[in-house]
Amino acid sequence: MISCAAHCCWARSTALGRVHQWDSDKLKVSIEDGGGGSSGAETVAHKVHTFPPLSMAALAFIHHNPIPPRPSLLSPKFKRKHISRIPPIQSSLTPQFGFSDPLVLQLAETLEDSLPSPPPSSLQFSPLQKIRDTSSETLLSTHWPSLKDEPFRFTDTSFIKNSDIYPTSQPPQSLDSLKIIPSELGLTIVDGHIVDSLSNLGSLPDGVYVGSLLNAPLSESDSDKSIPKKVNELVGEFDWGDLFWSINGLGTPDLAVIYVPAGCRVEEPIHLRYYSAEGGNEGSGKLPVSNPRVFVLVEEGGEVSVVEEFCSGDGDKCYWANPVLEVVIGEGARFRHSYVQSQSTRAAHIKWTSVRQESASSYQLVEISTGGRLSRHNLHIQQLGPETETEISTLHLSVSKQTQDLHSILVLDHPRGYSRQLHKCIVAHSEGQAVFDGTVQVNRYAQQTDAGQLTRSLLLEPRATVNVKPNLQIIADDVKCSHGAAISDLEESQLFYFQARGIDLETARKALVFSFGAEVIAQLPHPSIRKKIETQIKGMLDPR
Amino acid sequence: MAVSASLHSHGASPLLSSSFPSSRPKPSPSSTTYLYVLSKLRAVRPLRLCPSLRFSSTAVKATTLSAIDPSTTSPPGKDGKLLLEVKDLTAVIAETKQEILKGVNLTVYEGEVHAIMGKNGSGKSTFSKVLVGHPDYEVTGGSMVFKGENLLDMEPEERSLAGLFMSFQTPVEIPGVSNADFLNMAYNARRRKLNQPELGPLEFYAYVCPKLNDLKMSVDFLNRNVNEGFSGGERKRNEILQLAVIGADLAILDEIDSGLDIDALQDVARAVNGLLTAKNSVLMITHYQRLLEFIKPTYIHVMENGKIVKTGDISIAKALEKGGYKAIAER
Repeated sequence: MISCAAHCCWARSTALGRVHQWDSDKLKVSIEDGGGGSSGAETVAHKVHTFPPLSMAALAFIHHNPIPPRPSLLSPKFKRKHISRIPPIQSSLTPQFGFSDPLVLQLAETLEDSLPSPPPSSLQFSPLQKIRDTSSETLLSTHWPSLKDEPFRFTDTSFIKNSDIYPTSQPPQSLDSLKIIPSELGLTIVDGHIVDSLSNLGSLPDGVYVGSLLNAPLSESDSDKSIPKKVNELVGEFDWGDLFWSINGLGTPDLAVIYVPAGCRVEEPIHLRYYSAEGGNEGSGKLPVSNPRVFVLVEEGGEVSVVEEFCSGDGDKCYWANPVLEVVIGEGARFRHSYVQSQSTRAAHIKWTSVRQESASSYQLVEISTGGRLSRHNLHIQQLGPETETEISTLHLSVSKQTQDLHSILVLDHPRGYSRQLHKCIVAHSEGQAVFDGTVQVNRYAQQTDAGQLTRSLLLEPRATVNVKPNLQIIADDVKCSHGAAISDLEESQLFYFQARGIDLETARKALVFSFGAEVIAQLPHPSIRKKIETQIKGMLDPR
Repeated sequence: MAVSASLHSHGASPLLSSSFPSSRPKPSPSSTTYLYVLSKLRAVRPLRLCPSLRFSSTAVKATTLSAIDPSTTSPPGKDGKLLLEVKDLTAVIAETKQEILKGVNLTVYEGEVHAIMGKNGSGKSTFSKVLVGHPDYEVTGGSMVFKGENLLDMEPEERSLAGLFMSFQTPVEIPGVSNADFLNMAYNARRRKLNQPELGPLEFYAYVCPKLNDLKMSVDFLNRNVNEGFSGGERKRNEILQLAVIGADLAILDEIDSGLDIDALQDVARAVNGLLTAKNSVLMITHYQRLLEFIKPTYIHVMENGKIVKTGDISIAKALEKGGYKAIAER
C-alpha cells in the first residue's frame, strides 16, 4: 500500500496576526527532480497528474520510471541524465526551448570573457572546463527568475537584475585594506579568488589536501586516482541547479578543493574565509559579482569539520557573492559544516550547497545568517545509501530591510535514514522578511526513515513578514516523519514573569529574543566561533 | 484610580482592648451587622501569638495614611508599620470585562502572616495577580497602597522592586534562559535600585549557593533553563529560591503547597519561616490546613465571590476542615 502526502501550501503570516494559506486548488504534480511547484508551472515531465482538491490529500506519486537505488558514486557511468529525460532542465523554471534570456546571455558572455579560456590546467582533462561547459549549456535556456517562479515567489532578485553586474577583477584588488591576518587553519578567498599568501595550511594531517585544484598533487602511479581525477569524475553532476548555480559554474575562476583521504580524521576545523573587497557604493548601481567554488571530498571513514565564514569587510558596499559548495561524503564519513554569513547589508548573497551522502555517512550543518540585503541559501542533500544521518540547524536574523531565505531539499532514496531540521528566524524590522521552504522527499525505497522538521519564527515588529512552507513528500509507507511550524511574537506570560521579578520589559525582551536564537548557536561545534557569534548577535539585537 | 479619601473605621468595636492584637479587615462601611459579627468573633477568639514571628509587644504606631477617622485608633499591640492596604478593590478580566473582585478589603502590617482561603473561583489568585499587576486584569475601583505608594501607578517591575514578591501558582517555562542568568538579572535589578554595585556571575554564584543548600537543591539546577522540564515541586522550590535570593517586604505565596510532598513542604515552609522578620510579611493563598501548620498565620481570611467575607485565626481553618465553606458561611 502506497500512502503518501504532499503538503504544498504556503503559510504567510505578518505580525498583524493574519495567516493566509494558499492551497493550489488543483495540485499539479510533476514527476521531476525536485519538482512540486504549484500553479502555473508547466514542467516538462513524463506525466502530469491533476487531482481534485483534497485537504491533507493523499496523492499517489507514480514514478514513471522508478529510479533504482543509486549505485556508488565512483562509477561515472550512471549519470542521471541518461535515464530517459530530456536534456537538463532547471526544475525551477519554465523550460521553453530555443528561448534565451538576453540578460542572462549577456551576463554569461561577460563572465566568459573575463576568464582565461581554456582554464589553466596541467592535466589532459579539466574539471573546471567540464563545469563551464555544463553551465553554459544550461544558461542558454534559463531565464532570470521572477516572482512568478515558485522557488522565487517571495524572494525579490530584481535589485540584482537591475544593477550593472560585472565580474570582480583578477587578481583581487585592495587586499591590504581588508587587514586580514591568517590565524586559523584554512583558506582565504577574496572576491572568489584563492589568496595563498593569506592562507594558513600549516598543520594538516598527511594525505589531506586543501587548496586550489591547480596545485593538487598528482599521484605517482596510474592505478591510484589522483585528486584531480577524482574531482573530475564527481563535479558537475547536479541536475537541480538553477540560474545562480550555472552562473557560478561559468564564472568561477578556480576550484578550491578540500580532500580528506579514507580513514583520516582532521582534528582542527578548516576555515574558509570569504571576503568581498570590491564593491560599489550605494546608489552607483554597480554590482561586482564573485563566484567562489569549493569542492569537498571526504572519503570512506574520514572526518572533517569545515567552517565557512562570509565576512563583511569594512563599510556597507554593494556586491554580489554567488558561492557554491559541493560536498561528497563517502561511506561512513563525517562532515560537519558551519556556515556563518555576516556580509554587508547592501550586498546580495546567493549560495548553493550541494551534498551527496553515501551510506552511513553523517552531515551536520549549522548556519547563522545575519547579513546581506538579500541572502539566499539553496541547500540540496542527496542520499545515496542507507543509514545516513543529517542534521540541519539554521538561524536567520533580519534586523534591517533584509530578506533571509532558505530553500532546502533533502532527498531520501534509501532506507533507515535519520534527519532533523531546525530552522529559526527572527525578523526585527518592519521591512524585514524571512522565507523558508524546506522540502523532505521520502521516496519509495526510503523505508524506516526518521525525519523531523521544525521551523519557528519570531516577528518582533509590526509589518515584519515571514513566509514558511514546510514540505514533506512521502511515498514510502513505513516511515516516521514530522514537521511543524510556528510564527509568533514573544510570549506574554514569559515577559510578565520577568517583570514580576523586577526586570524591566526591555531587558526581558532582549533576553528572550537572544535565547530564541541561542538554541541554534549552541549547535556550533567550535567554542571560539560560538562566542564570536554570540557577541555579534547580541550587538545586532541590542544596538546600544 | 483615586485613593479613597477617608479611612474607614478600623472595626471600631468597643470590645477591642489594648491586650489584643486585633485583626485588620476593613468592613464595608454599610454593614454594621458585619461589624457586629466581627466584634463577636474578636471577643471569642483567644490571643495567639505566632511562635515563629518575633513581635515586640508595645503600643501601636499610627498608620501613615491621612484623613484618619477620629473614632479609629490603631489598636495597640501592633507595632509594625502598615505594609499593604487594599480598599474596596474591584477588578475585571481585561478581555471579557467579567467582574472577579467585588470589593476586597485587606490590611497587612509588617511582621504578620496572612492566609487567604476560599472556594475555587472565589478570586484568590486573581487578587494576588492584580496586586502584582498582571496584564490580564484591569482594576475598576478601589485602591491598593503598598508602603505608602499607590500600586496602581506602578508597572509590575516597579512593584517588584518596591518589595512585593509573588510566587506563581503555575510558573511559566522560559526555555533558553538559564536559572543562573535569570536570578542574576533579577538580583542586579534590585541592587541597581538600591544604588549598590551589581554582582558578576562568579560573585553571584557564591551568594546563591548557600541559599540553594537551604532549600536542598543541587547546584546544577542553576544551569538548567528556567522551569524547563521541572516537576511541580521543583517549580515551587524555584519560586521560593527566587524569594530567598531577591528578598521581599511582602511575599504573596499563591498555593505554594500544591504539588509538594510532605518533605518538600517542610523544606519550603522552613525556608519561608527563615525569611520572616518583624519587617516583612507573608500573604499565603492555600486550600489546606496542612501548610498553616508549618507557617503559622496571624490572620486567616476567607474569600468568597470576590470579597473577603470572614477573618479570624487558625480556628477558621479548623472549622473549614470540619464543615467546608458552607459551615463558615452560615456562622
